[in-house]
Amino acid sequence: MMIVTNYIVTSWRHILRHKLFSAINVLGLAVGLAAVMLIALFVRDELSYDNNWSKGDRIFRTHTSFSPPGRDPMHFVSTPGPVMEALKKDFPQIELATRVLRTRPMLVDGDTLTVEEITLVDPDAVNIFDFNLISGDIEKAVSGNNTIALNETLANKYFAGENPLGQIVTLDFDIFKRDYIVEAVIGDWPEKSQIHIKSMALIVEEDWSESAWIFEDWFSLDAHMFFALRERGNISEISNQLSAFIDRNFPKFPIGDPNEAVSSRVGLEVVNIKDLHLKSSGVGDYRPRGNINTVMTFSAIATLILIIASINFMNLSTARASQRAREVSMRKVVGASKKTLVLQFLGESVLLTLIGLLIALAIVEISLPLYNGILGEEYIVNYGGTDLMQIFILAVIVGLLGGLYPAFILSGFRPAEILKANQSIESGASVKLRSALVIIQFSVSIGLFVSTAVVFGQMQYAKNMDLGFSKDNLVTITGITRDVVQEKFSLLVSEIKRIPETTDVTWASFVPGQTFENNTSVRTPELSQEETIIVSNRRIGEDFLKTFDIELIAGRDYQVGRNDERADTDVILAGNGHRASLILNQTAVRQLGLGDAEAAIGKTVYMGVGNVEARGEAEYEVIGVTKDIHFESLRSNARAEIYPLQSNFARSITVRYTGEPQEIVDKLNDIWQKEFPELSFNYRHLTDAIDGQYTEEQGQATMFAAFSGLAILIACLGLYGLASFTAERRTKEIGIRKVMGAKIIDIVKLLLWQFSKPVIVANLIAWPLSFYAMSRWLESFAYRIDNILIISFCLIAGLAALMIAWGTVAGNSIRVARTNPIKALRYE
Amino acid sequence: MLKLQDLTKAYRTDEVETVALNNVNIEIEHGEFVAIMGPSGCGKSTLLNIVGMLDTPTSGHYFFNGEDVAGYSEAQLGVIRKQHIGFIFQSFNLIDELSVFENIELALLYHDIPASERKERVAAVMDKVGIAHRAKHMPSQLSGGQQQRVAVARAVVGNQSMILADEPTGNLDTAHGQEVMEMLQKLNEEGTTIVMVTHSPSHADYARRTINLLDGHVVTESMRA
Repeated sequence: MMIVTNYIVTSWRHILRHKLFSAINVLGLAVGLAAVMLIALFVRDELSYDNNWSKGDRIFRTHTSFSPPGRDPMHFVSTPGPVMEALKKDFPQIELATRVLRTRPMLVDGDTLTVEEITLVDPDAVNIFDFNLISGDIEKAVSGNNTIALNETLANKYFAGENPLGQIVTLDFDIFKRDYIVEAVIGDWPEKSQIHIKSMALIVEEDWSESAWIFEDWFSLDAHMFFALRERGNISEISNQLSAFIDRNFPKFPIGDPNEAVSSRVGLEVVNIKDLHLKSSGVGDYRPRGNINTVMTFSAIATLILIIASINFMNLSTARASQRAREVSMRKVVGASKKTLVLQFLGESVLLTLIGLLIALAIVEISLPLYNGILGEEYIVNYGGTDLMQIFILAVIVGLLGGLYPAFILSGFRPAEILKANQSIESGASVKLRSALVIIQFSVSIGLFVSTAVVFGQMQYAKNMDLGFSKDNLVTITGITRDVVQEKFSLLVSEIKRIPETTDVTWASFVPGQTFENNTSVRTPELSQEETIIVSNRRIGEDFLKTFDIELIAGRDYQVGRNDERADTDVILAGNGHRASLILNQTAVRQLGLGDAEAAIGKTVYMGVGNVEARGEAEYEVIGVTKDIHFESLRSNARAEIYPLQSNFARSITVRYTGEPQEIVDKLNDIWQKEFPELSFNYRHLTDAIDGQYTEEQGQATMFAAFSGLAILIACLGLYGLASFTAERRTKEIGIRKVMGAKIIDIVKLLLWQFSKPVIVANLIAWPLSFYAMSRWLESFAYRIDNILIISFCLIAGLAALMIAWGTVAGNSIRVARTNPIKALRYE
Repeated sequence: MLKLQDLTKAYRTDEVETVALNNVNIEIEHGEFVAIMGPSGCGKSTLLNIVGMLDTPTSGHYFFNGEDVAGYSEAQLGVIRKQHIGFIFQSFNLIDELSVFENIELALLYHDIPASERKERVAAVMDKVGIAHRAKHMPSQLSGGQQQRVAVARAVVGNQSMILADEPTGNLDTAHGQEVMEMLQKLNEEGTTIVMVTHSPSHADYARRTINLLDGHVVTESMRA
């Protein structure tokens, strides 16, 4: 007991007496542990998605990919409607299967209409997922065409204080309108799930005969599809057979060589429900996905930060070893064994770590609101649960790891040597090890600095790139596809035109800034019907080019009264169409082989119309060519796009305005409320929509920068401590040099050079690695900053690291260099 | 060569003032070999440090070649020191990380001497003290006597006119001590002024003059023929 007290007293006094040493160690550890905790919150959250389904191992979602000729493969998380029945028929291993379709009908509540989200499912859904049944009979709720299971949110919204069971809700799906009886109330879907089932009703295919493609078309992607294997079922038996399944069941692919196997154009993939959030790809998820690479990157950063903090610990402790040599020797002389000394020093480092842990918890609590703000999350540290225990264990492990090497070094001193003379007792090996550790720290810091710079550089580049149109002062109105709106469409547009702040108004079949896929096959007279080219078909309204400020590089814009719009499909199929006008982009001109932009004007292009049963072609004359325009993220290359004129349908209306953004929004809202009081007004400023595509990346980039900064800070703290101890260790040498005539500046240069060497070596290690990693990362962007920039970032990082190292070391060096040499050369 | 006049050195802490040298008057001519003796704590080392311009007096005058350097700044003293004064210490004070050659070269490094000339001069001085064959060895590989010879070489390689030796034989056995003393004597015969602090009366006998210090005072001065 006595000896333990003695250890604690010694440790505590040692910590207090060497404030700089202790402060650097504790602060470095605290910042490191805090960073690790914050990152762990993010990582744990990302890994927690869809982990708790009782049949989790057996639940899969099917994903579909299409590879039309001349088009990069397109990946979707949805599945054509008829696939489910065919799969169940071909694979007896499948026990349960359901489609999941998100719909947005209007809920009729007396006089008010509100758009609500209703998820349509097949009956098996209730047995695949674990629903939290609050009341009623969930199986009954999805057994008939007029029953529904409300989730808690909707039940509380419409039947607060009443029993929702047996109540009627009226849903208007546009195609049909029906009264539904509430048969069950279910809990809201868990937050940490990649899928999202809300209030739930049965898929009744007859109801949807007007939009039959949703459930019947083999090439239309609308609903998600899940299935559950039988117990002990083997998924590879299904995934290996999917190509054969496709060739057996799918009709011929509508475009391209009819003799080709359809499996060369269509792909199906099965993804376990636990992998949906982080390890799947494809368009059409109902909730934002995470990315396993991001999770791995941040885990790696957390590990690196912890390593840097531990290295500080080891470096400072071994560097200080000589100062504790006498204590160790005396303890040995009076009978301490190596083992007890190791325990003493390990205990001391664990003590320091635990002090660091307390500070770390404070840092986490203070920075959590900011962190949550950046990431748009609501993480909390659960002190009551296992969180505190885990971080405590981690801290102890860090303390032990960081303390182990110093403990053995310190306890290994031979008293006879130490007590004889105050000589340099450090072995060359431990000095070398320390240099190596400093090199590792700086390599990591420089690497993180370069990566951060590249990530930010790319973000800036993407934000400022020429999109081909001017995104400022544009507001887009969406939610206009309902019949009630489309009926009053021209009225709406003309009322908007009458707002004084309105400069131009247009509409389009897509929502600028949102992912959009609508592909059409086109050809020139020189190409056969089998050689058509797939282009993105973006139909636009009058004044579109003017409103978006899009430059025509050849030809003219559409003009009212010139019959630019094509005839309706049935007219064309009947052979009564006329030659319409077409504007397309540069890439389309190139892919169609129309020559340069000027040469393309006046040439003929055919566009496929109709469906599998009745196919025809609309004839167009090219009247205008635009530059390539980026309505979406710069992750993908510019595609061939055509912009036919369409006056009678739109998914969005876009207004260019002058004056304050809020003013125009208020006036648009007034018009909307007057015409459609029952519908909510949906709008978005295009700048927000475009920049919004980068919110997640922006948040992660900020996080990346912050943690890289922390890593560098901790490394510098360590270097500062190390520099001061090294300077102390070299006092004798410095004294001799001064006696020999060295000036202060000579000594400072000497010390700076000593610390420049590891930083320079670190640069040589970090540069090629970061260049390789970051050029790989940039490859995922179609439009990206030049690799040369990475090199300049490397140079800047290297220079910055040197400056930081110098700044850190200089103060100490000057102090030591100014010391009177006789103090260093004092006699015994 | 140098003249100390009413020289006093006092160390002050918050409460106590310790007088290390009190009113010391010493004159040393060019080419002299002077031994300074006295018990521990009598002020020998303080005196040597002031003479070597590693420390400054509290009051009094220190004329070096006729110049009063008592009030000079550290930088000014450094310039005079590196031109005129070489040091030999009891504990050798070689830099462990540098080889024999590099340790000696150190004394020239801060003198703006081209590398080729430095090499020649270091080689010459190594020959002179008989350690040429050890040029590439590290100090830890040498015996005490050899280390001290390296220190002597370092003290004279810059053609310093005065060597200050602080118990140069204190860490050496009799034979090696003898060797170092003979080397100093030879240097003195060649014209180098030598001021040596020592405990050993037999080594003090090499000097032509002995100054005895006690409690910061010069108590006796004896000349030898």
